[in-house]
Amino acid sequence: MRRTRELRSLALAFLVLLAPGGCREAKHGQGDRRLNVYIWTNYLPDEVVAEFRRRTGIEVTVDTYSANEALLAKLQSGVADYDVVVPSDYMLKGLIPQGLLAELDHARLPRLGNLDRRFLGQRFDPGNRYSLPYLWGTTGLGYDRRKVAAPIESWQAAFDPRYAGRILMLDDMREVFGAALKLMGRSLNERDPAVLRRAAEMLKAQKRLVRTYNSSDFANLLAAGDVDVAQGYNGELAKVATRDPARLAYVVPKEGSTLWIDNLVIPRSARHRDAAYAFLDYLLEPAVAARIVNSVHYASANRAALPLVAPAIRANSAIYPPPSVLDRCELIEDLGPVTTLLDRLWTEIKAQ
Amino acid sequence: MRSGPRHAGHVLAAYTVLVYLFLYLPIAVLVVFSFNASRQTAAWQGFTLEWYRRLAQDAGLQQAVRNSLAVGGLATLVATVLGTLAALGIGRGRFRGRRATQVLLILPVVLPEVVLGAALLSFFGAIALRLSLATVVIAHVVFSVSYAAIVVRARLAGLDPSLEEAARDLGAGPWETFRRVTLPLALPGILASALLVFTLSIDDYVITSFVAGVGATTLPLHIYSLLKVGVTPEVNAVSTLLLALTISLIVVAQALLRRPAASSAG
Repeated sequence: MRRTRELRSLALAFLVLLAPGGCREAKHGQGDRRLNVYIWTNYLPDEVVAEFRRRTGIEVTVDTYSANEALLAKLQSGVADYDVVVPSDYMLKGLIPQGLLAELDHARLPRLGNLDRRFLGQRFDPGNRYSLPYLWGTTGLGYDRRKVAAPIESWQAAFDPRYAGRILMLDDMREVFGAALKLMGRSLNERDPAVLRRAAEMLKAQKRLVRTYNSSDFANLLAAGDVDVAQGYNGELAKVATRDPARLAYVVPKEGSTLWIDNLVIPRSARHRDAAYAFLDYLLEPAVAARIVNSVHYASANRAALPLVAPAIRANSAIYPPPSVLDRCELIEDLGPVTTLLDRLWTEIKAQ
Repeated sequence: MRSGPRHAGHVLAAYTVLVYLFLYLPIAVLVVFSFNASRQTAAWQGFTLEWYRRLAQDAGLQQAVRNSLAVGGLATLVATVLGTLAALGIGRGRFRGRRATQVLLILPVVLPEVVLGAALLSFFGAIALRLSLATVVIAHVVFSVSYAAIVVRARLAGLDPSLEEAARDLGAGPWETFRRVTLPLALPGILASALLVFTLSIDDYVITSFVAGVGATTLPLHIYSLLKVGVTPEVNAVSTLLLALTISLIVVAQALLRRPAASSAG
């Protein structure tokens, strides 16, 4: 009898020991002391994280990735312990229907109004029920000022015989077709097969002028002088252009181009939701958002932060293109069944 | 006529030099550019220790190095012990399914890393084991235990069985035979397998990228994620330090290996 009671009290002691952990989970992490962030490299300056830690006492672990696919694999496994992650626009179209993201409680994000309406309510997440736009950028042309006749303004330069053998295009079907479609005055999400075939003819003719199709090293090849006109993403191209502004430049062609948005989301499996909300709201502060832009040199979706961004960055059209150009930029959308045709045309171009 | 062999000797020497240049020139370039004052890797602009100084201040990179060393150390310990036991069991034991065990042990060596990484990730998902540094260690043990077993087994196969028989004839029990005869003789193989496992673990990217959890960014993951913003001379500096570490490990291992060989020969 005595013995059973001892055993019972031992078991009780165990339960008491385990209880706090259990309770914390049940209450969705009331008063979390931890936060795990999984984010692109060079997207969150150390001092911004340190400031959050100082203010809230929450310990933040930041892990980085370099591809959306790595993020997807982790979230699908269900055992990744992240509370805030930053997928790109096209990734959300998969993550949301798969139920991998937590629905955002807008009442807990009082600074939501700081975001630029331009980036809200996109087709991948109407009403922003799951995601908040964080940083964004464009695809455009980088070029060597000394090797071109006049400053480049149009996609026409990538199809100009004068630059034969000195043009680089991204090794990316949608981006390359996007350049041709934009030059034709069409949407880069064009679905009309006849228009797509015309674009393919243009690209087949262009291929003779193209030195290489390359998606990973375009900025270095331009900086090294291997090519003089390079299609590429603004982050890398702006970086080499900033290092050597007398020689290199980046421009979003006047016809418009691709826009991409990386978005803050909370995975459904997140265990530290209070900390996640606190962190999202902290990132929405104008001063914090401006500090991020000044450090990482990507444009922020936070409009209230703009006056606090360093004037040189605000005036840099490689980072903040003028609104008139931005109006003609589009997100890449899933084309559904048309993708098959596009795949075939792209193969014809590459195999030619 | 007499100059023929000498001529061939010159050609062979030149060829050897070329092969070694091919193997080591990129590494030499990496080391040299870790001291380059220019940020771009294209041209030499003078000597600097700036990148090493920055290294000392880069908390993320240091954490990655610590993680890699911790994973490498633990995985080496576990995989070498398991691999040695497996090699002994398969090499010495007589049991049903021995051949099947042997084949299954070699399988991870030929399995593409992507397959193993994806399989491990779904396995951890299925048993609801949260990803962390521990899952990285487990994954590294899984893929390196085969290598460890193969290396130790090769060493055991080369041993003269009469030495163990002699020990038993002289009255040594199984444990004493193992501790005083088999283990010392197998030691060079065990050390070699430990080195191999450590090397495999420290530079694994593919499998680690699948199973790394919170705070478990290893050095290859860190370097790879830097590629999005371009390789900095800091990466060259940290690679140079790792190279120095690896080379000293090999020198130490060589020194260790020479001693038992000399004593067993004497």
